[in-house]
Amino acid sequence: MKSNKLANFNVSAKMHIFVIISCLVIAIGIAAGTIFHFVSNGFFNYGGDYETYKSVSVEYEDIDFSGGGKEPVELIKDICSTAFGNAGVSAKASSFGDTSTGGKVVYKFMNSTDTEKLSAAVEAINAEIKKEVVSAGGIQFSYASVHEAETVLGGGLAMTRAAIVIATVIAAHFIYFAIRYNLTMALGAMLADVHNFALYVALIALCRVPVGSTIAAYAVLTVLMTVIGTSFLFDRIRKNSKSDDNKKLDAFGISDLSSRESFAINVIMPACLAAISLVLFIALVISSMSPLVALAPVVCSLVAFISCVYGTVFFVPSVYPRFKVLGDKAKAKSKAKVQAK
Amino acid sequence: MGKVKSAIITALLLAAIVVLSLFAVISCDVPGSNHVKRYNSFLSGIHLGADLSGEAYALLYPEGVMSVTDYNLVAEDEGNEDREEYTEKFTKVGGVYVDKDKLADETFKASVAKDAKIISERLGQKGYSSYSVTVEDGYVIKMTVPTNFTYAAYKEYDYTSRSEALNLISTAVQLAMLDGDISLRDNENYESSSSLVSIKDDFAAFFSGVRYYAMGGTYAVQMDLTKDGFDKINNILLLGDSNSKAYFFIGDTNLNIQLDMGKPLEGRTLYFSSDVDRAQSLAAVLGSVIGGNILTNEYNEHPEVSGTELIVSTPEMGQYAALYLLGILALALVAAIVVPIVKYKKLGLVNAIMALIYANVIILSLLLLGIQLTISGAFMAVLGLALLTFTNVRVFEAVRKETATGRTIQASVKTGYKKTLLSLIDLYVILIVASALVALVCVGELAACGFIFFIGTLASYVLYWFTRLMWFVISSPVKDKFAFCGFKREVYDDEI
Repeated sequence: MKSNKLANFNVSAKMHIFVIISCLVIAIGIAAGTIFHFVSNGFFNYGGDYETYKSVSVEYEDIDFSGGGKEPVELIKDICSTAFGNAGVSAKASSFGDTSTGGKVVYKFMNSTDTEKLSAAVEAINAEIKKEVVSAGGIQFSYASVHEAETVLGGGLAMTRAAIVIATVIAAHFIYFAIRYNLTMALGAMLADVHNFALYVALIALCRVPVGSTIAAYAVLTVLMTVIGTSFLFDRIRKNSKSDDNKKLDAFGISDLSSRESFAINVIMPACLAAISLVLFIALVISSMSPLVALAPVVCSLVAFISCVYGTVFFVPSVYPRFKVLGDKAKAKSKAKVQAK
Repeated sequence: MGKVKSAIITALLLAAIVVLSLFAVISCDVPGSNHVKRYNSFLSGIHLGADLSGEAYALLYPEGVMSVTDYNLVAEDEGNEDREEYTEKFTKVGGVYVDKDKLADETFKASVAKDAKIISERLGQKGYSSYSVTVEDGYVIKMTVPTNFTYAAYKEYDYTSRSEALNLISTAVQLAMLDGDISLRDNENYESSSSLVSIKDDFAAFFSGVRYYAMGGTYAVQMDLTKDGFDKINNILLLGDSNSKAYFFIGDTNLNIQLDMGKPLEGRTLYFSSDVDRAQSLAAVLGSVIGGNILTNEYNEHPEVSGTELIVSTPEMGQYAALYLLGILALALVAAIVVPIVKYKKLGLVNAIMALIYANVIILSLLLLGIQLTISGAFMAVLGLALLTFTNVRVFEAVRKETATGRTIQASVKTGYKKTLLSLIDLYVILIVASALVALVCVGELAACGFIFFIGTLASYVLYWFTRLMWFVISSPVKDKFAFCGFKREVYDDEI
């Protein structure tokens, strides 16, 4: 019964709903992004390689602190995690690396983290390290410090190039479809590209997940997947329009039929990629012990897949028949004019 | 084609793919080398992005600023004679100690921020998949770039590749933090040299632009001279002793590029060949300096700080992020293999062979072309795999439809391919154009993603035709010409 309902679902009849949903989401997303641009940290919530953050770094020497043969970095990590727990702060990411005299552990915190709490944690870490060094009979060369870091927005070139490429790909898609299919289908394909891209931008701006330069990679992924989806959809539309079996169907009927026929392929491919995204998210959370670090690439990819499915399966097949009707009317008008002349 | 011939071709192909796959994924100690020599798989030779293999960073301290550790080394050492001077001279700002005089200078903090922007622009020219320049506590510049380690280098199985990668980063960092103006000098040692350009002339104005030049395996810095600059440099060169050279400096650093004295220039464009990385870095810093972007402060050059140290940090995604990603990619590959096998049986096996070939092509391309793999790049590779699988499924379904109408398998395959060909060519043409655009126009991670998807799309299209060939190989010996792998003629009610 359910599958029968799905088989008879006519997207073209629901155009107004889809247009309203799209317009609302895009308008709210862009408005929110613009407001955040002026009152907060930007149109998107810049994180990753664009972020402004606070950090606690602990420089340590390569000595056997506790005398128990434990790696210094492990002891430092234990001390830090206790101190952060006591101060009531939690790091969103951590990394460590070797230096010429030992190593350095850096904990990154959200910019909103209370500096006083971090300073208290640093004092506790320093006191604990001192205790360890004294018990080992050494001189203290290991210190923790709290920093406030402001990142220079250096990804401008990458963003500009990505914008140029997205615009060029959309134009190339339009031109190719205009040559190989027809003008109304080319317009439909362009609408799909622009709609899905706008939806992606609006949703990312709206959900305020800290994003870095990878946002551009997933924007391009959105457009590429839309190209794939529209190729399947308009191929079905073209074939169904030519088929003798569908002669009785109007533009709306053909669009609905084609949408249903390409439904599986246009949903399964993004759904598979979304499933991979979710599994990757779980794996990266386990790996980094911090959901915040893995959130940006996964949310960006999920938003990209959702935008593609919604745009290609629902929005475009509902709007395209109107293009087709308008195109046919214009064609008939010009034909009548020529005949009248 | 006979049954034996078909079986031999299939077995040989499978064996070749299995052997290639083993070399591609399995790393091990070379037997008999007593754990000294190690075979690193193709997979472990792929360069990884910062999200998978970590970053390298350097902290740049201007004069009058030092780290907590450098300060405490003196201030907490009761026997140190400079102790009192330190405690009087420096004050703590955030996580660093700053000279009180410098702190009073309002332009100092702004100059550090300006320098950070210039360094960021210089690094931006390098095409890193990701990089960042951060100002810590308002006075310290932190330059972060991806390590570009292979997995073998990251896990320290391959020390040569690791140290090569670190040397490249070190050179890039040193060049990006060069301060001072460009000059042309008569000796390779700054202290014993003098400028060859008249004090009245601005040497930077001699050049109209600098860019990185790469053509056919030759890498160079290309410096374009203005007409006036060309004439003036020629005058300088012709006045000099023919056995000597004119050296390019930025500040007091010799760039190791020079012109022969006594010989006039042949044209208004100078080429200085170098390796790819150094040429890129030199072009970036020379372009920046000639464009008037000169660092205001000297960094890590005063005796109170420990000098420039490159710290290699673990990836924020966790030390095992690369392994987890590999596991998930393997899972995607297994899904792309198993699902079609369940649905199409023997034909699913053909798709499995294609998926394995696709995976090997991607691994070899990443290895041979030195493309850096990031999580986004991995998604592009998976998108290519999905494209291949869905293309095959589409063709399989078209053939199933044809078989149902009562055609023979061979005829159905022919018609099925014919019917899907044009629409698939449309799809592939637009995807190849789009991915080529992304690869050529974008920079950094996006360019790598575009390149990976370009290879994936191309491989997917070639394998689409290879599937056609394999279809012929495996279906030829089948006796029933109307039924194959569950594809058969539909029996209508009126036929019963």
